[in-house]
Amino acid sequence: MSKPVIEIRDLQKSYGRRQKAVLQGVDLTVASGTVMGLVGTNGEGKSTLIKCLLGLLKPSGGEIRVFGEDPWDLSPKNKARIGYVPQEPALLPWMTVRQQLAYAAAFFPSWDSSFAAELMRQFGLPWDDRVGPLSLGQKQKVAIVLALAHRPELLILDEPVASLDPVARRRFLESLARMTENDNQTILFSTHITSDLERVASHLAMLKDGSIAVCDELDHLKDRVKRLRISAGEDLPTWFAIGGALRTEVQGHTALVAMASVNDGLVQELRTRWNADVSIEDLNLEEIFVEMQLV
Amino acid sequence: MQVTPLQFEVHPSSGVPIYCQIMDQVRALIAGGKLANGDVLPSVRQMAAELGINMMTVSKAYSKLEADGVVSRSRGQGMLVDQREHVGSVSDRRRELQPFAEQLVVRGIQLSLSDEQMLTVVRNSQRELRESANA
Repeated sequence: MSKPVIEIRDLQKSYGRRQKAVLQGVDLTVASGTVMGLVGTNGEGKSTLIKCLLGLLKPSGGEIRVFGEDPWDLSPKNKARIGYVPQEPALLPWMTVRQQLAYAAAFFPSWDSSFAAELMRQFGLPWDDRVGPLSLGQKQKVAIVLALAHRPELLILDEPVASLDPVARRRFLESLARMTENDNQTILFSTHITSDLERVASHLAMLKDGSIAVCDELDHLKDRVKRLRISAGEDLPTWFAIGGALRTEVQGHTALVAMASVNDGLVQELRTRWNADVSIEDLNLEEIFVEMQLV
Repeated sequence: MQVTPLQFEVHPSSGVPIYCQIMDQVRALIAGGKLANGDVLPSVRQMAAELGINMMTVSKAYSKLEADGVVSRSRGQGMLVDQREHVGSVSDRRRELQPFAEQLVVRGIQLSLSDEQMLTVVRNSQRELRESANA
């Protein structure tokens, strides 16, 4: 087992004079080679978590290790192993795209100019336009090129595709999928577009109420979280409940119950006890996300 | 015979994990005669690149198919179809098929098809699969 790339223990972060607590004890370990999707509703602290990981914000408590070091004091060697696409691209508006790339390249010994050129072509970016007047989507594409071109071992993406058109998004996802060929490639990816995560993520972490509510392999999550559709012989009582249910909705003789995991014994018991037809429905990531948020 | 990644279709947003979709499709290609023992599956790398999915997802599907005795790993050649004869008694195997029959019957009733009409549908698909296998 290789050493985890990211280790977070009991991370706390509060803001402002009133010390509004955003992160209240986050524990998260990201192993090398993992593509971890990070989800959570708006204002849940995804960007705060990412900024703490990068040493852009100082945690109020807890411990973080990135490549075994405290990110607040990360060595230049390890900084060069990280690529970051921020939510709002931070570029130098007076430079042309070509100059911006050359400027960034100077910081990284591992800069791969032919890979950068390939990404430029894939995204259809103009080399000689100035960065300032580019559209938000195009700026985001430039930020992605800057983050990928030095072939970082750890890639951290904070809603990188929010402003991308569908074609660019697909291209970007394909680049990410190709990066997973490398066993040491680790990616942490925050987004609201759950279908993107379903393609490329191997694991999923969900931030809720300031800590990680769920962290699991994506396939395992889909295998276990199910919705039961119960159609009983007679009206179900209003107190109808199943132990371990995430959410229950009862209407007359039918009930919809979201479960964190389902076993055959339970289904059999429901069938006999309520004289019911029970079907088990698969949920996609968006549905799982919604069910878990409603808890 | 050789299959390409383009013969696979994955729906990332379906509730079924992608690795299960790939497993089902390999099994369907074998059942439909598109893949026979000794045929090679596309490489993990090819599949991941063409379908735009994580390599690990493809590896997982292939490993599970290997564990289920559908394919075997061959050094230098990749994954070969190697469907072993089904083990277990006829009644065991019938029990395995039962849940699928239930689904079919329920859907048939919803569509107001008679018993005979449902059987016709089953016979038609049997014939189609046989014909495509012979083609």
